[in-house]
Amino acid sequence: MHLIQAIHDAFALLVSGDANLWRIIWISVKTTLLALLIAAPFSVVCGYAIASHRFFGRRILIWLAQVSLSLPTVLIGLLLYLLLSRRGPLGELGWLFSQTGIVAGQVLIALPVLIAFTLAAVQAADVRLAETAITLGASRWRVMLTVLHEVRFGVMAAVITGFGRVISEVGCAMMVGGNIAGETRTITTAIALETSKGEFAQGIALGIVLVSISLVINAGLMLLQGDAHAAPAAR
Amino acid sequence: MSGLLQINGLRKRFGQRLLLDIDHLHIDAGAAYVLTGANGAGKSTLLRVLCGLEPAEVSRLVFMGESLRLSPYPRAMREAIAYVHQHPVMFSTSVADNIAYGLKGRGLSREEIRSRVDEAIAWAGIDHLRRSPPATLSGGEKQRVALARARVLRPRLLLLDEPTANLDGAAREAVIGLIPTLVHAGSSVVMACHDRDLINLPGVRRLKLREGRIEIRSA
Repeated sequence: MHLIQAIHDAFALLVSGDANLWRIIWISVKTTLLALLIAAPFSVVCGYAIASHRFFGRRILIWLAQVSLSLPTVLIGLLLYLLLSRRGPLGELGWLFSQTGIVAGQVLIALPVLIAFTLAAVQAADVRLAETAITLGASRWRVMLTVLHEVRFGVMAAVITGFGRVISEVGCAMMVGGNIAGETRTITTAIALETSKGEFAQGIALGIVLVSISLVINAGLMLLQGDAHAAPAAR
Repeated sequence: MSGLLQINGLRKRFGQRLLLDIDHLHIDAGAAYVLTGANGAGKSTLLRVLCGLEPAEVSRLVFMGESLRLSPYPRAMREAIAYVHQHPVMFSTSVADNIAYGLKGRGLSREEIRSRVDEAIAWAGIDHLRRSPPATLSGGEKQRVALARARVLRPRLLLLDEPTANLDGAAREAVIGLIPTLVHAGSSVVMACHDRDLINLPGVRRLKLREGRIEIRSA
């Protein structure tokens, strides 16, 4: 009964347009999108470059990207906290306990996900695509754009996965953002706080929003992919 | 016939293994050649070296009367040499866009690109496929689109890797029928192949590779 009541209260809170609740949602979505906007172009080019060129240290870069995938976000938060704290080397920036600090942490979390997924997508692409573009006289940039266009669903999946990892992480946002109400309180840090206070309704309401965002984004991706998900016989 | 490409001392290694060891290779302008030899003789590797997809050592290289180095691959050769894979791959746009791909970025007007694409489509007999997504094409249709995509660039040298491999019946005959017209249009053509009908095309010269060396040259 307690759970049912909490869910009922959560929907009531969402429908009522509670300003605090929607402010939290807005901060989460804004910082996540900004982080992706910064991380995605660099990561996609990086992932392509690592996948399609042979150079000294390439395997180490791939290894680092894969290791970073499994790093706890709280550890990234700790490192960033030490860098951004008043006595840290980047303390003068004043990013600690700010939305900019959260974005910086989210960029660091998104980078390895985007690089590793783009790398995998480009490595899985038919090598003749790039060769055909080269022999037809395309410049290096055009070859890259052509290959990325051919693996666009893989790149989109990379961005969606990055979005999911960033918006759902709690450790880094808590440490670097400080969970300040109206400033750096995100969906996940608010859920952690409200649950610890025994205020389940707001936690559940934010959880519903988080799941809804994930559903909408993945539905959008499937729409963009068109019939790529169709069973072979139906194509 | 004047010389289009002349190479001396071409060596291609893969690790310790010497894949190609060609003392002299001469391609005349407007001539057709078949490159024969057993599997692993180096036919595809030679074509890939000539179109810049594989690096190799060369003592002397003269292309269209100009002495060049093979590495980095010269722009003059990139713009004048076209290559078609044994199993061509299509970009996931339309057939017409695939054919126009190489023309974009060459400073041509839209009208010029459209007119050259139209001409190439008519030449390959694929007008009915113009708007088709390449995923729906058969092997023979893909080969014709790939030939049109290369021909539209008006290359001086066209390198074809097994152009009739895995094709049969009308698809194979259609591709074989296109080859002589490439030569008549002024391109030199070098084809790696086992296909008797291609080898016996009138006027086609033969280069036979054996263990990376050119064993037979026919006039």
